[in-house]
Amino acid sequence: MSPYIIETGGLTRSYGDICALKPLDLQVPEGEWLSVMGHSGSGKSTLMNLVGGLDRPTGGTLQVGGENLLALTEDGLARFRRNFVGIIFQQHHLVPYLTAIENVMMAQYFHSMPDEAEARHALERVGLGHRLKNRPGELSGGEQQRVCIARAIINSPKLLLGDEPTGNLDHKSTIMVMELLKELRGEERFTVIMVTHNQDVAAWGDRTIHLDDGMLVREERMNCQ
Amino acid sequence: MLFRLLKNSFLKRPKSVLLVFISIVMGASVATAFLGISGEISHKMALELRSYGANILLEPSAVEGGGFLREDDLPKIKTVFWKYNITGFTPYLFGVADFSANGKRERGIVSGTWFAKNLEVAGEEPSVQGVRGIAPWWDVQGGWPAGPDEAIVGAALAKRLGSAIGGHVEATVRGKQQRFQVVGIVTTGGYEEEQLFAPLITTQELLQLPGKVSRVQVSALTVPMDAFGMKNPAQMTKEEYEKWYCTAYVTSVAKNVEEVMAGSRAKPIWQIASAEGSLLKKLNSLMLLLTILALVASAMAVSTSLMASMAERSPEIALMKAIGADRYQISAIFIGETLIISVIGGMVGYLLGDQLAGIISRTVFNSTIASPFWLFPTAIISAFVVAFAGSVAPLRRALSIEPVRVLKG
Ligand SMILES: Nc1ncnc2c1ncn2[C@@H]1O[C@H](COP(=O)(O)OP(=O)(O)O)[C@@H](O)[C@H]1O
Ligand SMILES: [Mg+2]
Repeated sequence: MSPYIIETGGLTRSYGDICALKPLDLQVPEGEWLSVMGHSGSGKSTLMNLVGGLDRPTGGTLQVGGENLLALTEDGLARFRRNFVGIIFQQHHLVPYLTAIENVMMAQYFHSMPDEAEARHALERVGLGHRLKNRPGELSGGEQQRVCIARAIINSPKLLLGDEPTGNLDHKSTIMVMELLKELRGEERFTVIMVTHNQDVAAWGDRTIHLDDGMLVREERMNCQ
Repeated sequence: MLFRLLKNSFLKRPKSVLLVFISIVMGASVATAFLGISGEISHKMALELRSYGANILLEPSAVEGGGFLREDDLPKIKTVFWKYNITGFTPYLFGVADFSANGKRERGIVSGTWFAKNLEVAGEEPSVQGVRGIAPWWDVQGGWPAGPDEAIVGAALAKRLGSAIGGHVEATVRGKQQRFQVVGIVTTGGYEEEQLFAPLITTQELLQLPGKVSRVQVSALTVPMDAFGMKNPAQMTKEEYEKWYCTAYVTSVAKNVEEVMAGSRAKPIWQIASAEGSLLKKLNSLMLLLTILALVASAMAVSTSLMASMAERSPEIALMKAIGADRYQISAIFIGETLIISVIGGMVGYLLGDQLAGIISRTVFNSTIASPFWLFPTAIISAFVVAFAGSVAPLRRALSIEPVRVLKG
């Protein structure tokens, strides 16, 4: 078995003439926290979507968790996403008419079986034990993002993807969310890939890669961690 | 969970759900109403058509009966299996007679019949049988015979004899004489205009054939012949024969009547029976077509409103896909919603449609109808058909949503 949870070779994604991601070779060891930085339009989301099985590359190879994503069908990718990946978006994307706990249970439902006690426990872990029955509109931005985290980790994913999860949060909420993620990773030992604009947020990771115009231009290892 | 998803998704979009619901109710109620009254319409239509003449003719079979049927057997026609389908019958006894009136002599047919006979059969509703009932198109000037020596004369014969209402006609058969008072002149456009119609009993005496009848015309409500009805009953299996006997084909009703009339052979009068059958068939297909059109229109309305709500729903569907819902799970949500709306829509549609059928039948036919037991399942099934047919395109749209495109950022 490869020591890498993610392995890409010449991974490409183009939209017609636009090359959103130029041939990329990337290896992510299991358990690593990888930060992805770059200007707007540099291909960060494109990379996340490919790795998370939400999008298909136009070239190259892509192995995630030993699975060749190029070989999977539409439903195979859906299964891969629910079993293997937890996703946190910048715009929380919670279902507005479901309560916090129902939003978490929905992920359980698509994965296997809703389990209210487990969903409650997940929300308690992100510090929302008192907000179970509130709908997203009644929660602050930071709280909504924590519901998203609870939803992302509920099925014990091996890979947690965050596409600018703190992009809409103030400083205090950002710190809270990052600390929460760090704590959860300590317990669950999932691999994290996090897109961010913020140097401080990137610094929470083990390694940072910089994309520019769809190309990996720089890579740095954090030694302070 | 699915239930919670559905409940909340309904509550979230009451307008769009209501629109879909109304479309389904419309489809189901129109289908219910149409199908509910189609039986009624067919029945009324068949009754109307009965006025074009008898559709079964009973004659003595060549082998037995000595050329005549027995008048005493006639009441048995009211006791047969298909008695409720028999709307009327009348016997005839024919004989050649020499008529004389106003000094003119003419040879012609004397025809004894029932005009409007009160028939009482033990155990059955009393009824009135005779020519007046089964041949309503006869145009009689003057009146109908009431007494034993009253007669109506065919227009052509009356002309030749110079007979007029109130006059007399002398009929002579093999030396036996009978004097009839002419109470009416009948115009039919057919062979009847050459005959003199007198009460059966008087004619039997004149012809010296007591209790005898030459033929019987029977008017019966029947169902259109189909391929099965055309099969030869003699070659049917027991089950097939049973089914054939219990279907009101003109042939099986004829068979039924034949069995009670000693020495008779019953045959459908095909030009009447088949014209009637094809008319009824056309009417039924027309009703079916209208029903299908109504259902198609509702399905299109359902499709349109579901499509319209798709724009609003696509982020939610994209999200479900992003967190791992596959096509079956997305479909399950859609089908679940559709199922709930269509069950409720079907029930409401049934209630409305049943009312509608009642109103139509009251205003158009002046009658009330009892809705048949199959109307409820029919309403539910039409609601399903409408809902599912209307969901196909929106569901395909939902399944084709690409989460990355919708969940940008
Ligand atoms: N669906 C699409 N169609 C065409 N071009 C796209 C599409 N999605 C992204 N792109 C292009 O790909 C490039 C990278 O986009 P993205 O990965 O979203 O950047 P980032 O997340 O780093 O801001 C951009 O130039 C963007 O315009
Ligand atoms: Mg982006």
